Amino acid sequence: MTMAQLELQGLRVWWGRLRVMTVKELLQLLRDPVLLFVILYGFTADIYNAGSGVTLQLTNASMVVQDLDRSAASRELVSRFLPPEFSIGYQITRDSEAAQLLDDGDALLVLTIPPQFERDLLAGHKTHVQMQIDATNSVLGFLAYSYGTQIISSYALEAGIQSAGLGAGAASLAPVVDNRVRVWFNPNQNDAWFMSISELLNVITAFSILLPAAAMVREKERGTIEQLLVSPLTPIQVMLPKTLAMMLVIQLGIVISLLTVLVPVFHVPIQGSLPLFFCITTLYIINLSGLGLFIATVTRNLAQAAMLSILVLAPMIFLSGIWTPPEAMPAAVRALTVFSPLYYYMDACYGILLKGADLRVLWDSVLGIVVLGCFTVGFGLWRFRRQFD
Amino acid sequence: MNRTRVLAIASKEWREIVRDRLFFALAFVVPAALMLLFGFGLSLDVEHLPLAVVDHDRTPMSREYVHRFIDSRYFDFKGYADDENQLDRHIVDNQLRAVLVIGPHFERNLMAGRPAQVQTLVDGTFPFRAQTVKGYVAAINAAFNVETLTQAISQIRGVPQAQVREQLPLIGIEVRFLYNQSMKSIWSIAPKLLMVIMMISPPFLTALGIVREKESGSIFNIYSSTASRGEFLAGKLLPYVAISTLNILVLWVLAIFMFGTPFKGDPLFFLLSAVLYVTCTTGIGLLVSVAVKTQVAAMIGTTILTVVPAVLYSGVLIPVSSLSSVARVIAHLLPGMYFADIAMGSFLKGLGLATYWPQVLALALYACILFTAGYLLFHKRVDA
Repeated sequence: MTMAQLELQGLRVWWGRLRVMTVKELLQLLRDPVLLFVILYGFTADIYNAGSGVTLQLTNASMVVQDLDRSAASRELVSRFLPPEFSIGYQITRDSEAAQLLDDGDALLVLTIPPQFERDLLAGHKTHVQMQIDATNSVLGFLAYSYGTQIISSYALEAGIQSAGLGAGAASLAPVVDNRVRVWFNPNQNDAWFMSISELLNVITAFSILLPAAAMVREKERGTIEQLLVSPLTPIQVMLPKTLAMMLVIQLGIVISLLTVLVPVFHVPIQGSLPLFFCITTLYIINLSGLGLFIATVTRNLAQAAMLSILVLAPMIFLSGIWTPPEAMPAAVRALTVFSPLYYYMDACYGILLKGADLRVLWDSVLGIVVLGCFTVGFGLWRFRRQFD
Repeated sequence: MNRTRVLAIASKEWREIVRDRLFFALAFVVPAALMLLFGFGLSLDVEHLPLAVVDHDRTPMSREYVHRFIDSRYFDFKGYADDENQLDRHIVDNQLRAVLVIGPHFERNLMAGRPAQVQTLVDGTFPFRAQTVKGYVAAINAAFNVETLTQAISQIRGVPQAQVREQLPLIGIEVRFLYNQSMKSIWSIAPKLLMVIMMISPPFLTALGIVREKESGSIFNIYSSTASRGEFLAGKLLPYVAISTLNILVLWVLAIFMFGTPFKGDPLFFLLSAVLYVTCTTGIGLLVSVAVKTQVAAMIGTTILTVVPAVLYSGVLIPVSSLSSVARVIAHLLPGMYFADIAMGSFLKGLGLATYWPQVLALALYACILFTAGYLLFHKRVDA
């Protein structure tokens, strides 16, 4: 046999082993119906729940009014607190009632309008209204405050214009700046788009670390790793099929979730190129399987692997800014976001799915995934090789 | 139930846990690490949003308007551009979150007593962030308008500006934030973090407890022993409840001393309801462990069943009142929400059993249901 033939045969053997081992992993997965069900649940119902159930907007905030003036002006002001943001419960008269309602969590916002409110406004005298806000939840508290002040200040502005007799009493004719805010990529601020995509990314992330790690630790715990050790397989030939099999499962899961939940139910507009999305996803899964491999090498049993996975997963998801925007993090924590592969992957995914970004824009995110991937996979393989010897 | 047998199983489980040093260490490291991470990193005060400005007017007045944005801590000024179309790319690339576009004749319109047009373009990928930006823009704009009105009124009436300024804005707003005066996010978040972390960590600890024995075959020792199903489950659960209770204490100390959250309630009431709560969350893990056949399935199942609902539906990031009806049902089906009420009340409001007895009752009921479900699912006979 010539050199070339030998090489060709070597290659064929290599491919053969890879194929056989990958099939073995897939078979093992297929024979665990509970696991398959959980994976399917993660890619469908779980994403549906996240997308349909959650909104970070102020909706139906229970509001109570203490109107001590009961005039046309005070009623006009109250009428500007509209649904869906606010739902006005009822009127109260005593301060103690307000305190009670806030204590019990029955009111988020109590608006108090002083006596002689209308008379002061007409006379051009300054008057004060009070907002009491239950800030136990700071997100809602902040939004209620922000909306409330917007409504009251624009009312105050109009009242000021009227009492000064400017612009014939209409704000549209007075010397004021009209700042129109236009929201891009998600004009209706549909939380379902954001939540469903972010949940998909979380599920991909969790599975990409857990599945390969579990596949490896399981062999260690059961002792079947001994068989692999005495086989003619190289460390890469042991590790790669696991990654490949899990990647196949995850990619299939993504397709299912796009076809059954994201597009038909939530109408996520897929603005960019799906092939690019799947290519970047492949890079990302390889990156994370390196982390999974690392977890597998330092743990002996699945219980340890599970606990260690949370310790890796939680910071990674958290630092990516998928739960809270990076702009809301303290500077020191924000600087750490560059170490989370999900940070880059998230940018790329939202970029492709919502913003229609292409590779010219996303190259830096892709670079981030690749560079971090070199580290995680390299480190994982190095640890793995050492264990093999 | 025979107490000796329960304790025997518990002590066997405890020894197994302690002898697995890495696992034992992780059982304590994970909750504390999560608390520190979320505690220091989680904040919803959106600041330093990268902003670019397109000023078609380029007058002193438009520059003054722009400066109100530049000088605020909410925006990081990235520079002026000639044309908003140049900036599309940067918003797509996440380099900008907002663009302020000032129309031509801004100054001339205002001077002549007419309204002036300004537009703000905001990246809406993260709806909460977009909403926050809208609020900031409105507040800065309102402050500027008070100023222009003051000038206009003082010109028309011929009174000094200072005098007009005392009157405007006509309606002053007094705001009182209750229970969390400084609106510092961590204050309000720490008690809920305690709840979330104890929703994530204990099920993971417990989830592999029984299925591990099924996989390795040591479960046959139990099958052939005199211990009943209930005794076995109770004995299995005990060590994990003990570890989780210790963790509650650790997190409690962290919340008070690291994050400075006040604790106004009754410590005993809080501790007892916390034990009840971790019984529920470890019970979830136990139930998973009874229901599945392989450790991998238990591990993945717990991730999907607990971590996601813990974060999404328990009212940490999103208040329960903002959830849709289906999600609200899910929220009520999880123990986290009830304990979140108790934790918030104990820490921030100083309320106790008198207010929260329904929540305590719900948790107790929850624990009973979990245990019964586990009891019914677990068989001492091998499936045919």
